[in-house]
Amino acid sequence: MKYLRILAYSLGIALSLSTAWLLFPGERSEAGLLAPATLKWVPDIEDTEDFCPFEHPEWRKAQTIEGVEISESPICRPDNPYLVASVVKGTNNVTMPTLMKTRLAMDAVVKENDLDGDGDPDVIHIKLEVAELNGSSPDGDFLIPGYPIAPGLMPGIWVFVPKLRGMATIDAVSTQAPEILRAPSPPIRVEQGDTVYLTLENTHYLPHTIHLHGVDHPYARADGQGNDGVPITSEKMLLPGESRTYKLHPRQTGAGIYHCHVQTDKHMLMGLQGLFIVEENRPDNWLQTFNIGAGRVRHPSRAAREKYAQEVDLHFQSLDKERYAAIQKYNDPRLVAKAMNREYDITDADEDFYLLNGKAFPYTLRDSLIVVEADQKILLHTVNGHPHSLGLHLHGHKTTAIAADGVPLQTPVTRDVQPLLPAQRLDLVLDTHNDGRHSFGPGAWLFHDHAEKSVTSDGVGPGGDLGLVVYRQYLDENGWPKLQGMDMVPFFNRQFYQKQVPVWARSGAWEIFSDTAPLPPDRLRLILSGLSLGLALGLLIALWRSGRKLP
Amino acid sequence: MRLLLFLLTLLSPVLALAGHRMDMDSMVMNENPVNLPEGCPKIAGDKTITVKAGRKFAGNFPGAVFAYDQQSWDIPPCTRLTIRFINKDHIRHQFMVHGLPEKTYPQGMFTIEVSGPGEESASLILPPSKKTYLVHCDIAQHTEHGMKAQLKVAGGDRDLASLPGLTRPARPDTYPTRWTVSSVFLLLLALAGGGLLVWLLRWLWQSMISE
Repeated sequence: MKYLRILAYSLGIALSLSTAWLLFPGERSEAGLLAPATLKWVPDIEDTEDFCPFEHPEWRKAQTIEGVEISESPICRPDNPYLVASVVKGTNNVTMPTLMKTRLAMDAVVKENDLDGDGDPDVIHIKLEVAELNGSSPDGDFLIPGYPIAPGLMPGIWVFVPKLRGMATIDAVSTQAPEILRAPSPPIRVEQGDTVYLTLENTHYLPHTIHLHGVDHPYARADGQGNDGVPITSEKMLLPGESRTYKLHPRQTGAGIYHCHVQTDKHMLMGLQGLFIVEENRPDNWLQTFNIGAGRVRHPSRAAREKYAQEVDLHFQSLDKERYAAIQKYNDPRLVAKAMNREYDITDADEDFYLLNGKAFPYTLRDSLIVVEADQKILLHTVNGHPHSLGLHLHGHKTTAIAADGVPLQTPVTRDVQPLLPAQRLDLVLDTHNDGRHSFGPGAWLFHDHAEKSVTSDGVGPGGDLGLVVYRQYLDENGWPKLQGMDMVPFFNRQFYQKQVPVWARSGAWEIFSDTAPLPPDRLRLILSGLSLGLALGLLIALWRSGRKLP
Repeated sequence: MRLLLFLLTLLSPVLALAGHRMDMDSMVMNENPVNLPEGCPKIAGDKTITVKAGRKFAGNFPGAVFAYDQQSWDIPPCTRLTIRFINKDHIRHQFMVHGLPEKTYPQGMFTIEVSGPGEESASLILPPSKKTYLVHCDIAQHTEHGMKAQLKVAGGDRDLASLPGLTRPARPDTYPTRWTVSSVFLLLLALAGGGLLVWLLRWLWQSMISE
């Protein structure tokens, strides 16, 4: 009798519990006769950034600093002309007031000895450091030095930077990186026949090296020290706090790469890769040794000035959330090393963020616009830093590839998708002569990798490596493109790339495309589910009480 | 080079006035051996400390990569403190103090930076009040990887977090846990202890009732 009662109660409890569970309102509900209303997205002022915040509009003009001619750069955020002058003359040859307007160390670029007597220095000492951007801190939940690639996006990145002085943040209060501390690792320019001493001072907490990919260099230095940057073959890894000088005397011109060769599948793709361009030897050829943030070279080489109206560096690279996760999760280098080298597996990996000159759209509009006039020839040095191939497409133009991997092409190739294999450099000529092939005429024309995922940031578009070629009449006086498309406000909202903003939130018909208002749970199901749950509880209490009454 | 030296000579008085010195090997910012910070009637005394910086000083602190040879100093108020800063690595390191009175020290900072192996000395006059100042190397990720210390004036008003070997991090890392024989034994012992506790309580209860 006792067991029968327990059985009956249990059956009752089980039945009412399952009814309650079955009837409980689910994640999605039907709307009934009318679908729910549309939610209007209103940008939060706190989360919305100015399109073009910039304190130095005077930097955009053409100017001469310490005798160095610096071309105009009419974009929103041009390169610091004082920095350009410092790296053209050498940080040892400029005056202190100029150098103090940069964050360069005094020995960042030392230029001396005009060996061939042609009016320019031929012995060049270049010093690089390694910086981590958006790394973790044991002092709290923030990333330091902070380097957003787009509104609200702060992936972990490693870069080679010129030897700096002073703080790694804007000021004593901010955690944000100063302008010079950014991706990509800056393009380096030297002259054919220069004697170049490239010193790596490893300021990072992991080992690194420099490998000169495609740039003429001896395997070992005269003193026997390895010079190829490969820790499997030529030398030991350069440990934190150590310094090593690579020596080269490049005999051939062309674009190469410098990259870290320690755990290359991680370190190079974390951002330790940059263009290394050997320019033709010309008289009085003072080169812009560093082009911070790539983009337009504001003091091009003699040869480039003879043939082209502009010289522009375009560095494409990508980042994988899983690859950099460890540097934002952990502080202890042992945990970082284990997670990155043994738990992360690149053979299972997919890239998440695509960068053009170290930024993703819409920040690319601030510092990577190519501003052109009609009938110009512009030399584009492109490099594919992705772990996969890239199809560079420019709207409204067909560019001509004139050199690949630093070697002139026998037959230049004109087309509108220029393919670049991983690590490949392609020198492209952008001809703005309106002939229906090289150019279709003036406009604000997009360019991007046509592998579509690279025009997104973690799958949200427009983002990734979108850039613009803007004809002068489509540029306003503050360096912002005059566009007549979508409202840009959502893209400059920090919620957009967190997938919180409907992509057509500000279109003319937002009522059709924005998010639906959520539905309240179905009342009948809510009541019935609640009743069943109550029944189950009642039965449980009754069972307990009947058990206690027994002797 | 000669021109540079000439210009440097020309500019040196201006730069020295502002407390700035810079050459290939080192840089000093906001050096101040003369101006009394507000509240200091006079220089209370002179003191020199030697601070060494480099990877080898992180050796005693597992998980740290760069460190100073000492993580905390306590100095009397209004002292003219001279810091002899020695860099043992082949990269830059800094001795940077934050939070100083901004009237005397622009941005509240005092900095010695040494470009590579070598040393540099500079002085500052400490403020009068009891306070703890952050000392660190502000090269990307050096503070985070161990090069952090504190300068206490008159005993300081607190201890800073994440000082190697001295204070815990504000956001600590977590490490894998591994069970050992002794931890299993400890757990079993605790289990038995728990049982024993029930028995003890029951015995206590019963003895109280029987009374």
